[in-house]
Amino acid sequence: MSGMVNRKPGAAARRLLMLIAAACLVLIWAFPVFWGFLTSLKTERDVLAWPPVLFFTPTLDNYRAVLEGSRSILPNLWSSLVVTTSATAITMLFAVPAAYAMARLKMRFKRTTGFYVLATQMLPPVGLIIPYYIVLQKIGGLDTYAGITTIYLTFSLPFAIWLMITYFEDIPFEMEEAALLDRAGRLRTLWYVILPQVRGGMAVTTIFVFLNAWNEFLFAVVLGGNTVRPVTVAMYNFISVEQTQWALLSAAAMVAMAPVIVIGLAAQRHIVKGLTVGAVKGGGRR
Amino acid sequence: MSRSASVRIEGAVKRHGKTTVLHGIDLAVKPGEFFAFLGPSGSGKTTTLRLLAGLETLDGGRVFLDDVDVSHAEPGERDVAMVFQSYALYPHMTVRENIAFPLRMIRESAAAIESAVTEAATRVGIAHLLDRRPGQLSGGQQQRCALARAIVRKPRLFLLDEPLSNLDAKLRLETRAELRRLQRSLNVTAIYVTHDQEEAMTIADRIAIFMDGRLVQVGTPHEIFHRPASAQVAAFIGSPPMNLFPAHLERGSLRIGADAFENAFPSLKDSDQSVQAGIRPGDLEVCAQGGLAAEVEFVEDFGDSAIVNLSIAGQRAKMRTERRELPAEGTRLRVAPRAGSIHLFSQSNGARLHT
Repeated sequence: MSGMVNRKPGAAARRLLMLIAAACLVLIWAFPVFWGFLTSLKTERDVLAWPPVLFFTPTLDNYRAVLEGSRSILPNLWSSLVVTTSATAITMLFAVPAAYAMARLKMRFKRTTGFYVLATQMLPPVGLIIPYYIVLQKIGGLDTYAGITTIYLTFSLPFAIWLMITYFEDIPFEMEEAALLDRAGRLRTLWYVILPQVRGGMAVTTIFVFLNAWNEFLFAVVLGGNTVRPVTVAMYNFISVEQTQWALLSAAAMVAMAPVIVIGLAAQRHIVKGLTVGAVKGGGRR
Repeated sequence: MSRSASVRIEGAVKRHGKTTVLHGIDLAVKPGEFFAFLGPSGSGKTTTLRLLAGLETLDGGRVFLDDVDVSHAEPGERDVAMVFQSYALYPHMTVRENIAFPLRMIRESAAAIESAVTEAATRVGIAHLLDRRPGQLSGGQQQRCALARAIVRKPRLFLLDEPLSNLDAKLRLETRAELRRLQRSLNVTAIYVTHDQEEAMTIADRIAIFMDGRLVQVGTPHEIFHRPASAQVAAFIGSPPMNLFPAHLERGSLRIGADAFENAFPSLKDSDQSVQAGIRPGDLEVCAQGGLAAEVEFVEDFGDSAIVNLSIAGQRAKMRTERRELPAEGTRLRVAPRAGSIHLFSQSNGARLHT
């Protein structure tokens, strides 16, 4: 902060404006979350009070309701966790080597292959639901973890491959050539020299894939059922034709968001690093 | 223990798609030699170096190390080390880990690695920086780290791809001398790629000159400077490079513009042809009579020497002089080449015409 003293007067004003702009953006994003949090602590009566009550006696009853008893979303959290972690793990397992190959190796039909990988991303998901449903039904994959996870892979894999390719392409060829001359061979070069340098990218990709899968609703609601019912689908059950249980819904949403927020905070360092990787050519400082 | 390899390249051809970048290179490097590949950018020198390393595949011809055909050997099987222009240090490893990497890959014992790393780092003067990351080093220190990583496993062939081009001028001069000393003390065959002719001339035992994917001359710096094989080589070597004049050779006499050198080339007295006459700037001196008529355009004074820019027979030429009193701009004077210092090249293909 000692640097502030030497700054030109204009710089301070600019800084202030930037802060205000940033604050506005954060507010726009944070307000619904904050309102949801408040709602989750209200009774249903307070929720529906008009004008909205700003001062109320907070209650944890909603949380109790969504965590215990007949309306508990714990099984659904478990369902989400199973689908999301298995989809993420399998995605990363295949996406990293695939992206490395596509970034580096000279192979025939590389462009064509790359296009088809990307092509799956261009179709609207809604258009895929019916074919997926029919396929899963035929092979008995509806409402099974294996079935839903496989469907998640169809969009997470191409996404992860394309994201990882950019990280691999940021690494100079000479880095690998040096390792090859040092007798590392392809696999050890990948393990000792290349992968450590894309750690940030892998973290970012993992998080994106995890979040996408965790937040997925459309496929889960159509292709799932009583066995596979992720928390996104379970929350939907608080909305019915007769009434919407806003307080319970909010509490469930808060619980569902918790792991995402925890992961985000834990990985924040990686995300920032991952986003700035390649800013310095030759990748010096890390 | 001497582990310096001999290198032989036979008819090496390399194509990138439809472009041919190497049109059949033949070359032999002796064990322990410090050899430079010199040429303008895009001349094929780096490609040839990468062929030796195994980082490029041959489209024709063969490569031998110690008389063993390694044309299709993997880079790791060739026992060669390379210093890249960008250094290619592993950014996530410390200097120590970088230098140790080649030894770890051949599963040396931890104790052997530690002592070898210390020795290599000491040799290049970075033993005090072993725990830093490459990003925390200056350009010169990074360069030394790359050198240490290359010498640590005592390769039989040492390849350097423009290793000094990212250093500032002063450091480049220092490092150049150190590199030469290092190569001598290790007694390892080294091949050095550069586009800087001064660097090649001062550092190498022998030089191979590349132009347009062809090897145009191989020789000692002395030979290349004093007997360039072609007008192109002559115009590339020397700073400033050789002056080339259109001239006519008839019955052993050479005429440049209005001036003639009678019976200057008795061995060529049967020929009657247009030629290019080359004279090094340092071989020209002011004379009272004879020689060539010249007009001074301007003078670049370096203190201990000067380059006098002249107009001779309607053409720009340079003369290097160490004389104190320098001619003023616009002065008309006569300059003569030192005896036997005129080089003759073919007008059509630039080839050297005399021995």
